[in-house]
Parts: sequence; structure tokens; C-alpha cells
Amino acid sequence: MNNSTKNIFVIPSMCALFVGFSSVSSQSYAGQHKGVVQANWQSTSAYPSWYSRGASVNRFGQGEDGVNISRALVQSRFEIGSSWSAHSSLQYVPDPDDKVGFTELFVEYKPVTRGAYQPQLRVGGFYPKMSLENPDIGWSSPYNYSYSALNAWLGEELRAFGLEASVKRSGKRLAKQSAHNWQWLAGVYKGNDPLGAVLAWRGFAPHDRQSVFNEALALRPTAGFRAPQLRKQAWQIEPFTEIDGRFGYYVGAHWSYQNRHDLRAYWYDNNGDPGVVNYHTGQYAWDTKFWSLAYKYKITKRTHLIAQAMSGNTAMGFSRGVDNDFDSQFVLLTHRWQEYRVSGRIEQFKVKDMDHWAFDPNDSDGGAITATVKWRFSESWRFGAEFQYLETKVANRADDNLPTRQIEQLWRVSGEYRF
Amino acid sequence: MQFQQQVNKAITKRARWQYGVALSACLMSSMGVAKPLTLNVTGKDGKPVKEAVVWFESKQLTLKQNTLKQSYKMGQKDRAFTPHILVVPKGAEVSFPNYDSILHHVYSFSAAQPFEFKLYRDNPQSLTFGNTGVVELGCNIHDWMLGYILVVDSTYFAVTDEHGKAVIDMPEQLQSELVINVWHEGFANLDQPERKQLKSLPNTFTLTYQLNQSLFELKEDFSDEFDDYE
Repeated sequence: MNNSTKNIFVIPSMCALFVGFSSVSSQSYAGQHKGVVQANWQSTSAYPSWYSRGASVNRFGQGEDGVNISRALVQSRFEIGSSWSAHSSLQYVPDPDDKVGFTELFVEYKPVTRGAYQPQLRVGGFYPKMSLENPDIGWSSPYNYSYSALNAWLGEELRAFGLEASVKRSGKRLAKQSAHNWQWLAGVYKGNDPLGAVLAWRGFAPHDRQSVFNEALALRPTAGFRAPQLRKQAWQIEPFTEIDGRFGYYVGAHWSYQNRHDLRAYWYDNNGDPGVVNYHTGQYAWDTKFWSLAYKYKITKRTHLIAQAMSGNTAMGFSRGVDNDFDSQFVLLTHRWQEYRVSGRIEQFKVKDMDHWAFDPNDSDGGAITATVKWRFSESWRFGAEFQYLETKVANRADDNLPTRQIEQLWRVSGEYRF
Repeated sequence: MQFQQQVNKAITKRARWQYGVALSACLMSSMGVAKPLTLNVTGKDGKPVKEAVVWFESKQLTLKQNTLKQSYKMGQKDRAFTPHILVVPKGAEVSFPNYDSILHHVYSFSAAQPFEFKLYRDNPQSLTFGNTGVVELGCNIHDWMLGYILVVDSTYFAVTDEHGKAVIDMPEQLQSELVINVWHEGFANLDQPERKQLKSLPNTFTLTYQLNQSLFELKEDFSDEFDDYE
């Protein structure tokens, strides 16, 4: 059964499920449910997508044209007394084979505090809040349909399964009032050991497909996969699994000034032991660490600038046989006018091969310019269109005698229903 | 004789009527006929001050029952308290309707009325404010949300408009002294309204109150719907 045939069955059943959710009541006194069903048409790539084991970095590769449900999501919040709440994001994506699962599931402790300092806790599986591009429902972007390559990677490969503790300092509640607000955060977690594998073999890709908790990401089997040194590595990545038994950690700081400037700095280290492999699943622990700096400036009430930069290193194998540096940056400008939002983003990304395994080239780089118009037709219905100029150069495309460089001009038209 | 009786009846009737008129006049003069008093609040610089709360206190001003019993609402709409400032008489009940489709967690640590509740749409909670004072409101989910409920010992109050103007219906004749209270969120000490004794109200029924302090400049609100991602 091909994808489009499957969609015939899946789309109505998903719609029934979501309509069921929305008709029950979007808000009962115990919980709050918000959802979105997004349908999409997009121009396709010359190659099949990575999850169809192709060389395209576009989510919708060769043969994926036509209208589909790009994402359906229910985000819920349940109150547990005054200080605790439980949060979940349950999503459906059609690619590659109709996946339903949680992208986030955690409980949060956020007490009402009298003083300037407020302690907070999150326990479960969640995104560290290092980005400012994805504040909308289900960690989606209100600006462009395809996230920046930087955040698309976080959505695809990064999730913390553990505990995050933070302290927030509210400037207005200090004895001597201040317009500066701070939050300091630290997280310890398990899982997320294969983080970085997708960057090594596919490279960065601007898209909007977030991974669910039990995700296995298919990749094109490059020549490197067939080499004896990588024989234990499966041809898919299970990004959220625990391999080496060690804890990872991150630390972060948020600063905001007059609710107009917002800066977030993070150091993320999954503390993976690159020599450890799970022979059963074919997954390595990667030693991946990076810093991320995100900034948002509200130039006016309606015109905002968002930028983010990231730089790090990832390595796997006993002798760090795969060892890559990576970095990515983007600048996004968005303007809201009446019920319309226009957003433009320019970005670049790079993975630099630092090891001596010549049979497994990991070099890749590229950039994109993305322009998006979104129209809020009503509270429930939203429409929009996006154009993306995308240029990528991936060294291991040569394994299949493909040109390493690819330039694409991609269109996307989208309609969504929210409840 | 009959004529005399009729005359006497007429005289008695007139006397009753006159007595009634005299009594009413007497009552009117003590209670006063309500007349709109125009107030202009200006800053130290003489410029009009909007969103200033003004209320009068006097022994002679009795509490108006319909003002006490009125239904007061402090709503939340588009992640903001609406109205931003609500004035209520002591003992009034205030409901907190949530017009947004998302949850709000409204709280206050004010001495006058500390409280907290989680508010779902279409499920307003109510609270009786039995103590006078400034009740500063916040939301634990949307940190930037800020609102005030001023609980005053009076039913003669108003909030100034864009032009620094407010109108309060006051008794026309006031025999005892009265106190004018003025409060603004730009005050250095929010728990301390400015107070001034007035011997009487001017005949023109127009009053200008100039603040004794300069106001902290209120920051422009740059909040948007994505600020709760923190």
C-alpha cells in the first residue's frame, strides 16, 4: 500500500479522532485541550526524502506531491492542585508510515510565590526552552512553516528525559524594582544518546517534522554504513534511547528586558560515551555537546527580530571514528499586519568532518532563504504560503553518484484548523 | 358651619402638604440632590492624567446600595486584565470571567485580599472584597499580566478617562467636610493614595486635582501571545 492510498484511510480516521476531541469540549474543569490539523501541498524534491532513504533534505521528497496532512496535534494541560500541572503533546505525522506518538510529556511544578524568586521544576520528556522560534502550539513556529535547520534538528533529535530545575527572578518584585528578568535552568536526563547521528549522515535540513518519543529515523544507507567499521550501526537512528547508562546535562540562562529583549544561552551535553554500542538496536552513544544562543527583539509591537546561533561537536565510536563539528545560524524578521503575518528567514548550516575515516564523509553545508505569508482567517481557520530557496552540499551524495550540491526552489501552501 | 369645616379641612390639607414639602426640603438639603461633579486630574506638570482613581469620603455620604450590589467583573481577555483597573466599594463581590480560550492562574499577595485561583473559560470564580486597599493582580502562567482592584470605603468613585476627566454624581448640598482620594499606578507607594480635605464643593461643580508627586512612567506593553514560552 503506497502512502497516498494509506492516507485515504488514515486521514478520515485521524479527523474523526480530532473532531471527537474538539466536540467533547476543548476545556473541561480538569484539563485544557488545544489542537491543530494542518493540511499541505508542497512542491517536491528531485530525490526521495531521507526517511525514504533518499538524498533529499526536503521533508517532502520525490513522489510525495499532492495534498497531505502534514501534522495533527493535541496539546493538553491538566491541573494537579495549585502548583502542579501535567502537559502532553500527542501528534500524528504521515511520513514515513503514519506515526502517532508523544513529542512531549511532563509534569510541571510552578508555585505562586510571593517574593522575586520563583522555583520551577519539569519532570518527564520535554524540550529545553533554548529556542525562540518555536513558541506556538506543540513547539511549532508561528513564523515559517519549515523551521530553521537549527530548530528542525532539535525537533528531530533532541529531547531531555529527566528533570529540569530552574529559578526565575522577577525584576518588578525586587525590593528595588528592575526591568531585567532572569531565569537560570539546569537539567539532568537520560536517553538522547544517539544525538548528532542525523547531522553526520544526512546533515542539517530545514523542515517541520518533529520526532515522537519512540521514533526511529530512517536514513539513506551511505557507503560508510556498509564499511566494516560501521557494521554495528543500524541503518536508522533512534535518537531518544539510552545507550551508555550515563546522565546528560544542560545549563541555561534566560534574560529579558522590559519584555522587549529576550536572550537565551544554553550549554547542552548529552555526556555520551562514544565507545558504547547497543548491539541489539544498532545504536551508538554519541558524545555530543553544543552551545546555543537565541535572541528576540521586538522592534515594534508588530515587527520582531529573532536570531539564533549554535555550535558544537559530536562523535561516535571507540576511537571517535566519526567526529564532526557543526554550527548553524539564522536571522528571522516577522511582521504582523491585521490578520496577516509575513516572515522572512535567512540561515546557514555546516557540518565539518574532523575524523580520518575517509570512507565515511560527513561534510555538509548549505543555506536557505524562506519567505512565508500566514493569514488568520478566523480563530479556527488559518491559511498560508511559503517559498524556500534551499542550497545544500552533502559530501556523501557522491556515494550514489549524485552531485553533492543541490539547489531547490520549494513552494508550500497550507491550511489548518485549530481548536 | 359646614363651610367652616370645609375651610378647616382645606387648611389642614395645605398644612400637611406644606409640612411635607418642608420635610422633603429639609431631607433634600441634608442628603442633597445628586448632581454630576466633573473632576480633572492633572500631574505636577499640569497635564491631564488618565487612569487615575478618584473617590470621596465623608460622614455625610451614605453608601449607595445599588452601587454596592452592582455586579463587578475583572475579566481576562487576550492575556490582559480587563479592565486594567477596577474600583469597587468595600464589601462588593467581584467575578473573574476568563474570555480567553486558555487557562489563567490569577493571584494576589495584597494585604487587603490575598487569593489565587485557576480560571477556565466560562467558569468564573467570585470573591468578596471586605477590606479596603490596593489588590494587585498577576497571572502565574502569563507573567506580564498586571491588573488592580481598588477597594474603597465609598460609593462615590470614578476612574479618569483619556483626557484626565471623571464624573461622579455627588449630592448638591454638602454640609460636612469631605476628603478626596486620588490613586494612580504610577505612584511610588501604591498603598498610599493622595488625600486632601475639602470644605465644600465649588459651585461650578467642576474640580481640578493636581497630583503632589510625579508619576513613574508606565512602560509600553510589548507582550504578545508567544511570551508565555518561558
